Amino acid sequence: MPIVRLLPKSESRTGRRHQYQARALADRLPALCANARLAAASMRHGVHGRRQAGIGETFWQFRPFTANEPVSLIDWRRSAKDDRLYVREREWEAANTVMIWIDRSPSMGFSSRLALEPKVDRALVLGLALADLLVRGGERAGLLGLTPALAIRQIIERFGEVLLAEERSEAYAAEELPARTSLARGAQAVLISDFLCDPEALALTVKALSSQGASGHLVLISDPVEESFPFAGHVEFVDVDSGARLRLGRAEHLRETYRQRLMQHREAIAAIARNAGWSVLIHRTDRPATEALLALRTKLESPAAFDLPQRRKATN
Amino acid sequence: MPTLAVAFSFPLVLTALAGLPLLYLLLRITPPRPAQIPFPPLRLILNVRPTEETAAQMPWWLLLLRLVLASLLIVAMAGPVWHPLSSVLHKGPLVILIDNGWPAAPDWDRRTATASRRILAAAQRSSPVAVVVTSDGARDISALDPQKALERLQALKPVPVMPSRRPVLAAIEKFAATHAKPSLLWVADGVEDGDLHDFATKLEATTADVTLVTDPRPARALAAARNEASHFDVRVLSAGPATKDGGIVRALDSKGLALGEARFDFAGQKETTAEFNLPVELRNDIARLEIAGEHSAGAVFLLDERWRRRRIGLFSSETTDVAQPLLSPSYYLTKALAPFADVAEASPSTDDPVRSLLDTPISTLILADVGVVPDTAYEALTRFVEAGGVLVRFAGTHLAAASDDLVPVRLRRGGRFLGGAMSWDSPKTLAPFSRESPFFGLTVPAEVTVSRQVLAEPDPGLAAKSWAQLSDGTPLVTAERRGKGLIVLFHVTADTTWSNLPLSGLFVDMLRKLVALSGETAQEDAEMPAAQAAAGDPAVAALAPQHALDGFGSLGPPPPEATPIAPGFQGPVTLEHPPGFYGPTDGVVALNALSPNDHLVGADYPALGLHTESMEELGPIDLQPWLLAAAFLLFAADGLAAHWLAGGLRGSAGARLTAGVLIAGLFLVGVPPARAAEAAGNAPADLASALKTRLAYVASGDARVDEVTRLGLLSLSRILAQRTSLSPGEPAAVDPARDELSFYPLLYWPIVATRPQPPREAVAKAAAFMKQGGTIVFDTRDALTARPDGPPTPEGKWLKSLLEGVDVPQLEPIPADHVVTKTFYLLDGFIGRYTSGISWIEALPPAPADDAPRPARAGDSVSPIVITSNDLAAGWASDADGESLYSLVPGGERQHELALRGGVNLVMYTLTGNYKSDQVHVKDLLDRLAH
Repeated sequence: MPIVRLLPKSESRTGRRHQYQARALADRLPALCANARLAAASMRHGVHGRRQAGIGETFWQFRPFTANEPVSLIDWRRSAKDDRLYVREREWEAANTVMIWIDRSPSMGFSSRLALEPKVDRALVLGLALADLLVRGGERAGLLGLTPALAIRQIIERFGEVLLAEERSEAYAAEELPARTSLARGAQAVLISDFLCDPEALALTVKALSSQGASGHLVLISDPVEESFPFAGHVEFVDVDSGARLRLGRAEHLRETYRQRLMQHREAIAAIARNAGWSVLIHRTDRPATEALLALRTKLESPAAFDLPQRRKATN
Repeated sequence: MPTLAVAFSFPLVLTALAGLPLLYLLLRITPPRPAQIPFPPLRLILNVRPTEETAAQMPWWLLLLRLVLASLLIVAMAGPVWHPLSSVLHKGPLVILIDNGWPAAPDWDRRTATASRRILAAAQRSSPVAVVVTSDGARDISALDPQKALERLQALKPVPVMPSRRPVLAAIEKFAATHAKPSLLWVADGVEDGDLHDFATKLEATTADVTLVTDPRPARALAAARNEASHFDVRVLSAGPATKDGGIVRALDSKGLALGEARFDFAGQKETTAEFNLPVELRNDIARLEIAGEHSAGAVFLLDERWRRRRIGLFSSETTDVAQPLLSPSYYLTKALAPFADVAEASPSTDDPVRSLLDTPISTLILADVGVVPDTAYEALTRFVEAGGVLVRFAGTHLAAASDDLVPVRLRRGGRFLGGAMSWDSPKTLAPFSRESPFFGLTVPAEVTVSRQVLAEPDPGLAAKSWAQLSDGTPLVTAERRGKGLIVLFHVTADTTWSNLPLSGLFVDMLRKLVALSGETAQEDAEMPAAQAAAGDPAVAALAPQHALDGFGSLGPPPPEATPIAPGFQGPVTLEHPPGFYGPTDGVVALNALSPNDHLVGADYPALGLHTESMEELGPIDLQPWLLAAAFLLFAADGLAAHWLAGGLRGSAGARLTAGVLIAGLFLVGVPPARAAEAAGNAPADLASALKTRLAYVASGDARVDEVTRLGLLSLSRILAQRTSLSPGEPAAVDPARDELSFYPLLYWPIVATRPQPPREAVAKAAAFMKQGGTIVFDTRDALTARPDGPPTPEGKWLKSLLEGVDVPQLEPIPADHVVTKTFYLLDGFIGRYTSGISWIEALPPAPADDAPRPARAGDSVSPIVITSNDLAAGWASDADGESLYSLVPGGERQHELALRGGVNLVMYTLTGNYKSDQVHVKDLLDRLAH
């Protein structure tokens, strides 16, 4: 029989250990942006030119000085060439925004002897490390529903504080899915969860998030026991979220049925993601976290992820 | 009578065992609770109905465990008893006969325990019980109800003699005649008293059944101690072949201190000897021998003066002739005295041999043919005799020629010859000793003849002075009391030239008697009648019992039935004459449980053919608590197993720890409850106090006062360590109600009127402390507020009510010549923070009338109480630099110094007592007072 346990409430809270692990994990991966520049020679990550005048470093155009403008805007060197006064404009540069959501519902507190750590730990570590990686790469990251997109150096600590503050608040109840907020155009969403919810509910959420054209990724964290179902004999199962119970005389007889159901469930999730143009990454907690982060980074780097909204914009 | 190993108090309960199969079925269909597994993806399969659901069955071992648990509980409730008493079927009264002679004493508790178990068993049958002991004799036996019988049993004690069992038989026969035929339990002591078989047969005939309880351990006893020349030995007897062969005989002096030990080993025999190799001085101090670990009167041997080996000084005028020892009187004397005394001969080289002999601790001085004692020794010799020494002189040519006055009778010069060539008289034989003579009782051999002797002048009273006479009535041995001592003169020589007396055994016996006398004379009061006069008067001669041994062999006041013995009483001991010490305190005579030639004969119980039980057998053991404990253990194991089956023990280390603690707890529970450890350890503070002298104060409970007191005593301790040879430890705060006070010589008790009075037990302890030599300094600290003629201060009232009911001696203000003012410093008074208060101390006896200069007076002991009002502790208290911590009234460094000196004197007084009042110090004290 596998040995499983559920984290008690106090242990499943976001803690300093998550922040340390996330930082260590992010440190192990090279800075996202720099690496991307070198590897893909593209400017899709980091500060991206928006092909219009705005706040930026790169020269965009000279335009004639109009009245009521501050005199300091005048580019005197250019203006000296003829009789008119010119203003030097720079190209508007803006960073990508990635909004992260981490599932902290009771079911995430599950861990088995086979796993390296509980699911919630892995989810938090992944989410925080991703945020750090993004910020160091020049992007902006935010917690979905909790923070705006931020680009600060102490992103892990800030996220940790925000998560903890939320968990500490009286009214906090861990949700299985993010609240239905919409994302700004061009922003990306990363949902990290075990997605052991109704596929219909997930579909609605994904639809709401992507309603303004945001793309996203689903990271499905799973315990190895949840996949293999190694139970046998007289067992009483307790559902973590609802408290429902199932007593089985011979648990091993149900193994095949369970596996089928699990496959169907994952299929449903994959279908939802496909429909929204999102990607799905399945990560098991007996695998190192680096693996998931690397895969996630690759996904975020991949042109499809960023092309999609532009392409859609083009079609619009 | 066959005895069951296990019996049940409530056998009917066992029928519940029939319910076990039902329990088996019930348990079988109730499976244990399954393991509970939290499983997040459960909702995926919640709607699946399992195809088959066979309830897992209870594992067989758990089933077995629970069945055993149930049976254990049922059996425990039935009240099982292991090894029950062989229940006496007989319904009649129970007679318990206990041999209570001293052989029963060593395991008396086990004997009474055996008997009380029987009485309790009889109580269940509510049959009457009679308890009889052999020392009761033919006294009528009355049947008692079991409760009364138990009380009587507890009150029984072994007697220090071996009473005969025969009289009891008559009493039992009488009892059996008046009551129904009793069953009899005989707790026998294992010693044969002559007609055991006959006794047993008659017992069996009288009673319905007889159960004999014996003790396989044979009784052991001591008899006939002898103080030999080189060693001290005592016969050790055993009643039978011992399981434990060896042992130790311990020699104790009169105060009960061990002087030596001697091992003995029976080696299968019934008699052996224990030998002490001790110096003669120690051997003479032995007052009591006892077999270690054998607490009975027979295992104790008391010794009196007769066993003392005496040191005898011997001086002969013929010391030069050592080449022919047979011609020297000292040869015969040494030979005769050696078995029972140590002979110290004067070394011929000293110029004054008698004097040098007298300087050594001798009890008897023998002068063989010394005519006139040299002038230098004469005075010492007179003093020796006056002080209680015995001077034995032998005649000879020197004495016949001239004698001093250290002879009992006036002597006629020259002496007389009998049977010589010029004499027509034949050598004389000895007449039998008269009753008045200390030699009375010695047989006179006919072959002893005297051919020459010195003659006494026929003065009046000569007959009374003669202890031995020749057949014609001329005195052979005369004696006279001088002061406390005795002068004895043999009118013949100590060698064989004048008579053949020194060759006879009589000579040895006479000397032995004389040497024994030396012990008595040394202590007899001057007004006591002379031995020869007293011997004729039986009223005076009867020796009243002074201390008697009880059955356990400890000395105590004689029992009321003890009566005086005649001198020379040799036993056998009876209840009227119990073993112990008889006679006046100075010259006690020991009477022992066994006569010198007694033997112990073990009883042959198997030959009696009685139903016999051994005392070694265990009594009934109630199995119920054990079974319940086992059931509890199983119950705990069941709990653990169920927990384990439910998956509880897997996983976290915490769960494993819990299990470990549970199992450890089981083992702890398994320890029998009788193992209650005695936790009466010494408090560490007591230990520290016992190892180092410390000042102590009574914690009043008022924090401020206690702090002042502590600092004061601390400063005083520091000063004591600096200036005197006493370096006391940290002062101790004590609570007389709780703490042991005996470690502290001095207790400082500051009075705080606002505090409640200590409990009476505390006051009683303080009073006991004062009685046992401690000193308490009460400090009322009210010198400023007290008026000599005013109303008493609150502190004064408090102290007064504290000391109510305490034996406080008469007090007086410390007089100027009291020794406490001289013990270290010469002081005028005891001041502290104040100087105006008066200090009180136990009143001294009035000064002697003589005009001798006595600067210091002291009582016999240290005053148990000192009362002052000067707040001494505040006066003593100083910081590390010696500056007074509290403002003094009137103030000044000198006052602080004087306060400390007073404290030093007080401590020295309590520690040294009246030492400084010794007149040895007069000169110094006067000298110093003069300055």
